[in-house]
Amino acid sequence: MTAEEKALIWLCSLSGLEYRDRVALLLAAKKDPLRLLEEWEKFSPLLIKTGKSGLYMKDRSARLRQADAFAEELERKGRFAITPMSGDYPRKEFADFSDPPLALFGEGNRSLMRTRKFCVVGSRITPPWAEKKGREIASALSERFTIVTGLAEGGDCAAIAGALPSGKLVCVLPTGLDNCYPAAHAALKAKIGRSGLLLSEYPPGEGAKRHSFRARNRILAGLSEGVLVVSAAERSGTLITANAAFDHDREVFALPHNVGASHGEGCNELIKRGARLTTEAEDVLSVYGFHAPRRDTAELSPQEAAVLNVLRESGELHVTAIAERAGIKIYEASAVLSSLEIKNLAVKSGGNQYSAV
Amino acid sequence: MIAKVVCYALNGLDGVPVEVETDVNKGVPAYEMVGLPDTAVKESKERVRSALKNSGMLFPMNKITVNFAPADIRKEGASFDLAVAISLLKASEQLVGADLSDTVFLGELALNGDLRPVSGMLPILIAAKIRGFSKFVIPLANAKEARFLGGAEIYPARNLAAAVKHLLGIQPIPPLETCEFAVRKEKRSSADLQFVKGQPVARRALEIAVAGGHNLLLMGPPGTGKTMLARCLPTVMPDLAFDEALEITKIHSVAGVLDEEGIVSERPFRTPHHTATTVSMCGGGNRVVHPGEISLAHGGVLFLDELPEYKRTTLEALRQPLEDGVITVSRAGGTFTYPARFMLCASMNPCPCGNYGAANKTCSCTPAEIRRYRKKVSGPLLDRIDLQVEVDNVTYDDLTSAAMQESSAAVKQRVDAARKIQRNRFSGSGINTNSEMGERELHDYCRLSAEGDGILRAAFDRMNLSARARGRIVKVARTIADLDSSEEILPKHVYEAVSYRIYDKIG
Repeated sequence: MTAEEKALIWLCSLSGLEYRDRVALLLAAKKDPLRLLEEWEKFSPLLIKTGKSGLYMKDRSARLRQADAFAEELERKGRFAITPMSGDYPRKEFADFSDPPLALFGEGNRSLMRTRKFCVVGSRITPPWAEKKGREIASALSERFTIVTGLAEGGDCAAIAGALPSGKLVCVLPTGLDNCYPAAHAALKAKIGRSGLLLSEYPPGEGAKRHSFRARNRILAGLSEGVLVVSAAERSGTLITANAAFDHDREVFALPHNVGASHGEGCNELIKRGARLTTEAEDVLSVYGFHAPRRDTAELSPQEAAVLNVLRESGELHVTAIAERAGIKIYEASAVLSSLEIKNLAVKSGGNQYSAV
Repeated sequence: MIAKVVCYALNGLDGVPVEVETDVNKGVPAYEMVGLPDTAVKESKERVRSALKNSGMLFPMNKITVNFAPADIRKEGASFDLAVAISLLKASEQLVGADLSDTVFLGELALNGDLRPVSGMLPILIAAKIRGFSKFVIPLANAKEARFLGGAEIYPARNLAAAVKHLLGIQPIPPLETCEFAVRKEKRSSADLQFVKGQPVARRALEIAVAGGHNLLLMGPPGTGKTMLARCLPTVMPDLAFDEALEITKIHSVAGVLDEEGIVSERPFRTPHHTATTVSMCGGGNRVVHPGEISLAHGGVLFLDELPEYKRTTLEALRQPLEDGVITVSRAGGTFTYPARFMLCASMNPCPCGNYGAANKTCSCTPAEIRRYRKKVSGPLLDRIDLQVEVDNVTYDDLTSAAMQESSAAVKQRVDAARKIQRNRFSGSGINTNSEMGERELHDYCRLSAEGDGILRAAFDRMNLSARARGRIVKVARTIADLDSSEEILPKHVYEAVSYRIYDKIG
């Protein structure tokens, strides 16, 4: 690690600073982080305006010690920092960004940084069929791409569930690496840290702030060659990721939803704006010149085939209607639907309604 | 002169004989009570004094000592009044010639000499009859409850004077005629499955739950008829047998909630409010332990509406009785065991706003809120609820099918048939329903074919079922097969059983 890189990591490790503060300091120091570290007292008055006077740190040797200690701590915890000076910094990806991350703290499989990446995201409230579809597509895509996503419930979780078994998974956190948002996903986060890769542009102890989700979403889009939106309401944070992808010439894909379904209006809007309508992994893969592996079809009994036909013809249906159209008893239909569910061909979406996937 | 009269005290669901000895001596007039009487018993002094006077009898102006034996058990309540009065009359030689042996006296006295009913009459009568007592003098108001006890002479008396005249042979009271137990034809509640619109899935689950004695969770948006469905549960349950009815009546009698019919002839349906405390649910009290809601629901249904609103400790306390069918409560006054084999039926909304998963409404809850709401119900408790179904939010008009609205009687027939199969299967093993099966019975009666086992394996992988759920699913599959009159558990039965574990999938 060069002294310059260490100085930059030190700058990024100071908690209480925003991205724009760090950039302002760097610009003042003529983009030389080492000079910033050496002559901090010259530049730190810049922070007075922002009211962060607690960061003066007049003692030069103390600053150097702090920088060393932080680098050591990173190493001790098996973490690393990816800066523009590192070989695997996604330089090309962030080339046209006005706000590329100054450094990315990482935990896990660093080699994933050099792979091709694709982003799968969805809003926290995602209908079960879309979750299942998202999981399926993420799983198929993970054979060609590393899946990039967040750590929230719903769409993100679907992507994680699809890609985690293969280990080709990058989760970008809205918090520091030590924190977890939502807290309930702490165990999941630890698992990803072991077999995939966790990334964060914030100092390890930083908590989630309102704006850090927006900032995180630009990294999701920036890292990836394309973005698939599994579900998004009319005003959803997921759309920030999609918009960033549009702005920086990434391909945008979206699952189509029922007209009027509130959790899918954002997706339909994206399709109107030129996102690719996606129902299978093939739809994504073909854009990049790949072919999806054939899915082997499960063997179906005549009853199962009949019920599946009904579902495919009419979309989401109540179990009563399914039973009537397939000409069987309602409790028989429950059994058949349960078996279709186990075979991954149907999904229950609440209120005893089922749909085919 | 010393007089001895037998009375009975309650100890849990059991009666304990208490001898009331009265000695009337010459000396300074005094009235003493010894032998561990509590306040209500001591107060009987004044009631007895007034009642005697107002019934035209003499209260002796001598030194009176009343002793309750055995002295080491605590005597509570007012049910000793009649025995004290009779023994006092006997000791003061106002009952010359009356034969008091083999007779048990029970009743509380009013100041004018009338006899008031006491709670716990039936358990006391049963216990006393087993001990060999054959004659009872009881308050008239307890007669309805007592008439189901065959093989004993029971004399219901309106007041103290009537009891005395009976004992002296001046005006004998005719003994109570024994009444045959009959299941009430006319149901008290108007609930019937016939009036439940739609809900085919929940109806089916209800049928399976009753057939196999499984617990049931109804999940659905507010106002979709969860409570109405639950109220139909007793209407499809098998009729009470006499010994079952007697056991339930004993509990209700001890708790003092028996109505004027005198015997519980319909399966109880208890709906404690969600503010209920652990003590009110499980039973408790200062010295004497009163049966709680779960014991009052014995043989019937305990319905917990809005399950997550109940206090967590209260719900956790249900876990052991759900397994064992009894609850043992320990207090300073002793340890009491009450039966508590009930069917648990719970209802809840899928999320705080109630619209999660609904087809035509939007849920306004955040995932964290939903998680917090669901977490209020612990996994171990949910594991004990075999059937979890969603109640539809669709209106009846949305459903196109016409073949619904079966009446409770029709469903009950199928349930009775399935219960009969289970009785034959478990005869002599002390088990009545599939839900009570242990590991041994699971092994003996619930062999799954390789295909059935494969389904379960796939279900575990794809639906993230908890490992503990396996046994539960197999038991439900067994019940479904019984309803189908099938000797073997077929794959379709397993599939259907799996479809009733929605909480595992979405929780």
